[in-house]
Amino acid sequence: MGVTILRTTSLGALLAVALVVPAFGQSGVDRVDSNTERVPLHTVIPEYPEVARRDRIEGSVQVCFNISRSGHPRRIAVRRSTSRVFEKIAKKAVRKSTWKPLPDGEQQSGIKACRTFRFSLLPVSRDEPD
Amino acid sequence: MKIRHISYWILLVAGFLLLVCPELAATEESKTVIGPRNALLADGADALMAGDGAEGVRLTLRGLEMAQGELERKMGHSNLCAGYILIDKPLTALPHCNWVLERDPAHWRTYNNRALVYLRLGRFEESEADIARGQALSPSSRNLKIAKGMLLDETDPVTPNVEVDERRSAMENGSDDSSND
Repeated sequence: MGVTILRTTSLGALLAVALVVPAFGQSGVDRVDSNTERVPLHTVIPEYPEVARRDRIEGSVQVCFNISRSGHPRRIAVRRSTSRVFEKIAKKAVRKSTWKPLPDGEQQSGIKACRTFRFSLLPVSRDEPD
Repeated sequence: MKIRHISYWILLVAGFLLLVCPELAATEESKTVIGPRNALLADGADALMAGDGAEGVRLTLRGLEMAQGELERKMGHSNLCAGYILIDKPLTALPHCNWVLERDPAHWRTYNNRALVYLRLGRFEESEADIARGQALSPSSRNLKIAKGMLLDETDPVTPNVEVDERRSAMENGSDDSSND
């Protein structure tokens, strides 16, 4: 299964990409602006639901949540979704993900983090090009 | 390959359930079954449901010899169709599915089984046609959805891809999330 992570522009997040991606054996990482300064430690990528793959369903789910001082997600909720079939697995992936704990004395922003999962099906070419 | 065999088996087993129970089958077809049911046919169906294709076919063939009435014969041929698929003899299975559908063109389970036969034989257009016929008769059938997925895996294979985007604006034109908590 192919996986791509789009992530923040902050230095911490850049480092996080370097740390997290090899752990999942992922490739094709791009960086984008973020809504939170919290640094992901462990990003869980959901499996593509078999029923959705079978029925050729694609879609996106955005999950928003707070990150506790210790780096665990709290108050996880689906913000937007194109198909219910992906919602449960997306929330579960966020629930199992962790972020770097805040150092002592550092103020917690209170801004919610959001993570969008895009589920797509890429055609497999049977014929190799000459 | 192993997963594909398991999928075939699951699909076929679901098809047997109604055939084993004459009362249910009678309800489906508005017929009444009187007298003892054909024990060999029932044992054959049990064997098929347990995944023993060879024994299921053997018992069903014997049961078919003493089948009484159209319903029992239909049960026998439908289960033989499924049984021969289980033991990877799609060409032998095909006439048994045809036998049922010639007499009962509304038997969606047999369309499902025949679609699997065609799939095994690489006759994808016929498989698709049977799935469409079956879905017209039973639009919500999970078995037919699975069969269609198997067909698509053969004709239009795909690789699942999951992309993670941490931008808040990743899904545009939505409202604030505060009401979702």
